[in-house]
Amino acid sequence: MKSQKTQSAINTYLKETGGWVASQLEACTRCGICAEACHFYQALGNPEYAPVWKLEPLRRAYEQRFTVAGKFKLALGLDKKLADSDLEHWSKIVYEACTVCNKCAHVCPMGIQLGPLIHAVRAGMAAAGLVPADLAEATEKQKTIGSPLGVTDELWRERIDWITDEWEAEIPVDKVGAESLVVFTSIELMKFPDNLAAIAKILNKAGESWTVSSTGREVVNFGYFEADEELTRLFMHRVFKAAEELGVKRIIISECGHAYDAFRWAAPNLMKVPKGVEIVHISEYIHHLWKTGRLKLKEGAFDGETITFHDSCKIQRRGGIIKQPRELLRQLAPKSFVEMTPNKEQSLCCGGGGGVISIKEADANRYAVFEMKMAQLQEIQAKAVCMVCSNCRLQFVDSVGHFNLPIKVHGLAELVSKALI
Amino acid sequence: MKEKTIYEHLREKGVSRRDFLKLCGTIAGMMGLEFVAPVKAPGKSLSPSPEEIVAQALKTRPKVPIIWLEFQDCAGCSEAISRSSSPLLSNLVLNDIAIEYHETLMAASGFQAERAKEECLKKYYGKYVLVVEGSPTLAEDGIYCTVAGKSNLDLLKEAASGAAAVIATGNCACFGGIPAAHPNPTRAVGVADLIQDKPVINIPGCPAIPEVTTGTILHFLIMGQLPKTDQLKRPLPFYGNTVHDHCLRRPFYEAGKFAGSFDDEGAKKGYCLYQLGCKGPTTYNACAGLKWERGLSYPVQSGHPCLGCSEPHFWDGGGFYQGQSAPTIRLDKGSTATLVGAGVAVGAGLAGVNALKKSRAKKELKKQQASEARAETENKKEG
Amino acid sequence: MNWTEILNFSRGPLLHVAMIIFIAGLSYRLVRVLLLGWERDKAKNKGSKFWGAIVNYLKGLVVLPFIPWVRRTFRHNELTFIAGGLFHLSLFVILAFGTAHIMVWKSLCGFSWKGLPTPILAFFSATGIISMVILLLNRLTQPVLKLLTRFPVWINWLVVFLPMITGFIMARHLWFKYEVIFSLHLISVSLLLIWIPFGRISHFLFYFFSKTIHGAQAGKRAVTP
Repeated sequence: MKSQKTQSAINTYLKETGGWVASQLEACTRCGICAEACHFYQALGNPEYAPVWKLEPLRRAYEQRFTVAGKFKLALGLDKKLADSDLEHWSKIVYEACTVCNKCAHVCPMGIQLGPLIHAVRAGMAAAGLVPADLAEATEKQKTIGSPLGVTDELWRERIDWITDEWEAEIPVDKVGAESLVVFTSIELMKFPDNLAAIAKILNKAGESWTVSSTGREVVNFGYFEADEELTRLFMHRVFKAAEELGVKRIIISECGHAYDAFRWAAPNLMKVPKGVEIVHISEYIHHLWKTGRLKLKEGAFDGETITFHDSCKIQRRGGIIKQPRELLRQLAPKSFVEMTPNKEQSLCCGGGGGVISIKEADANRYAVFEMKMAQLQEIQAKAVCMVCSNCRLQFVDSVGHFNLPIKVHGLAELVSKALI
Repeated sequence: MKEKTIYEHLREKGVSRRDFLKLCGTIAGMMGLEFVAPVKAPGKSLSPSPEEIVAQALKTRPKVPIIWLEFQDCAGCSEAISRSSSPLLSNLVLNDIAIEYHETLMAASGFQAERAKEECLKKYYGKYVLVVEGSPTLAEDGIYCTVAGKSNLDLLKEAASGAAAVIATGNCACFGGIPAAHPNPTRAVGVADLIQDKPVINIPGCPAIPEVTTGTILHFLIMGQLPKTDQLKRPLPFYGNTVHDHCLRRPFYEAGKFAGSFDDEGAKKGYCLYQLGCKGPTTYNACAGLKWERGLSYPVQSGHPCLGCSEPHFWDGGGFYQGQSAPTIRLDKGSTATLVGAGVAVGAGLAGVNALKKSRAKKELKKQQASEARAETENKKEG
Repeated sequence: MNWTEILNFSRGPLLHVAMIIFIAGLSYRLVRVLLLGWERDKAKNKGSKFWGAIVNYLKGLVVLPFIPWVRRTFRHNELTFIAGGLFHLSLFVILAFGTAHIMVWKSLCGFSWKGLPTPILAFFSATGIISMVILLLNRLTQPVLKLLTRFPVWINWLVVFLPMITGFIMARHLWFKYEVIFSLHLISVSLLLIWIPFGRISHFLFYFFSKTIHGAQAGKRAVTP
């Protein structure tokens, strides 16, 4: 049955389907190699988790509405129309078994951008109101309260004050005329305050003129997880507005992958972005400060235990910040820094990104994926792992606890702040 | 008076017994008669050897009269026979088996010739072999080829009615040949298309190999019937293999060594002529085996690709020097452009429809969003 | 109807119609996709799109199909990757350097080049056929492929396999009379040409889109594709 829901989803797919989408859908040869890349398929073995299968709703909408062959196939009974039940079925697949990490695009012999296309599939789900309840709830919180974790303005101020006291790190709030606006995630604020404090310390040490904003205080974008365009825009708009009001030159995205992806690559195509405002990720900025001599780091501060680096999908594979964190780590632990394989662009995903970690039903999926990550860590006998994404870090901390592993999980900024001279 | 046998006829002309037996062997070989092993198996009688069969036939059978008609042709097949380099055989056919009527070769002409033919048709009714050279033409009741005021269709029917067998020699008589080449203005056809009630055999070629024609006539003479044929009514002893099968350049083909032009290094080394358009692989003929000029050579041996002259429509096969694999109807630039244009037009048309669908989808989404937003604000107010 | 006539028909009108459908169909398909509209990516580049695309093509054409184990990700399923690579390689070698095929190109575009020796061609065509069989077995057994494979995919396989197997038999002069297998080869090629605009074999056209897009996207983001 086709209801208003399905109609909205189909409309969204039609809207999304430009030459960019169509040419890639047409290029697919149904070879199934993308399944090799997908950590959810590899971990769970469910063929429905093959990335190309996740595009099925988009493919059907495109073929059946825009092509003669698709209509022909329908008439011959070789294909099915999209129904409510289909969308519900795929909603679980695209939200609970996909981190939109885009590794599939790197193995696809045709180079199809499966990640962005799955994002488009999610957009249809969002329009149809078929987002998993937990994710929808967090999004609603971000929309109304301003943070997916439900951090209210008062709570936010309290936490900032508390961090300032606890770590003796000064955090300028709403300082007009600052050069950089640093935007944190609620995850850091609530769960990894050490990371927030570390960033503050580093920036202060480097003599950076920076500030945080009380209105643009949330960098996480649950609209982007959902792939709801309007909400994505709304959440980014809050930050951009704050940046304009404060007159900053750059927005520093804290350790958050999705946010970096949204601000750096998606925003210019979705909305008006303030001119002359540069978007940088904290890890590349720290690297920049270190390289320009504004920071001095103790060499070998973390030598001893084997430490490795986890590449995040949005910051490394899709963000290109690959060599900077590695250079920093080689400075911090030249002897004990060991790479996992595969790494860099080919790295294995943590399993919690793309909103998966906020969905309770997906816990089994994400733990299964983490077992593969675990095997990778054990292969090099890592005692500690470092990363530049709070979402990954949340998944690591949670899963390390779940599996009772003797592995320490660090944010890069946290390590850097401890090695400051 | 009892008719003289061929053997008696030959003896009269001074052919020795020894020469006669040699001739029998030659004929048997040419006809492709099988040799049977001269070992007597218990309980089985030894079958006669091929030359015995031939000799027996020549000793007992009278001559077979031949009426030779020409329609739309170049007389090339007759030329080939008359200049055949196996004089023994052609002499045999021309003189001893006896061609009773042949417009090009006979001395008589005009009314005299016509009378001779009429007499002959009457005298040998039901016994003679009709050989046809050149294609009959159907257009406008056959007026494009008339002899003595009679259309070729009438001539053919008249002659065929009393024939014991009909032999079509040359590609024209078999399949229409050059006159039938596109656009075939005279509607030339093969003899077999017109004569259904008599045994017809095709000896295609351009010209037909004389030994094949004479061999087939001899086969009829000796065995009393026409040889076995393939689908195109060609006698299997001569058309059982392709020119490619027995080609002397075949090893080069297998090795993938080809002449790229008529005067390149490959051509000088005798490489395969496939790239120069050789039609050997699909051409059934005895060229590679019998060859021409007393087995001296044949086109492929002399450095020219096979034209496929024993196959139907060889003039319309996409060009003699065009590779055999190439499509026979070529897409030129103009028609390709038209096709691309047509595709583009249809594609653009559908793209237009799709654009409409897309903008409608966008509109609907906007409407929906607006109504959702309205509902939300109302909810808030109520709350 | 005898085989000589069938051969004349398949070399002439059939192939002609097939080419018409092929050309018009592909232009239609290309235009239909192109005119769906393209949006410029307004995000600032981090690296070079051009070099990303170049590297992507080189990797995809030269490295990955033949030495897939350079990527650990492919180690679960090397054989399919190699079979896919070898299939395409053999296909292109045979199409470009088979003497009979060169004659086709010559008739279409007016110039020709040297072919490869027959034993090498034989090796490649056998490789191509074996790869096709491996890919078929893979498709029949792999759970993901079982899920993805719909009826048209079997047609894809068949219309590619038939020209290959008939071509192989023809070139080796096995079992059939030449004009029979030649006709069958041409008929299957015509089927292939007619099917291409309707099926996913047309990926060879869209390959250049998706491959360029991926390379450019990776280059833009300063990562190795």
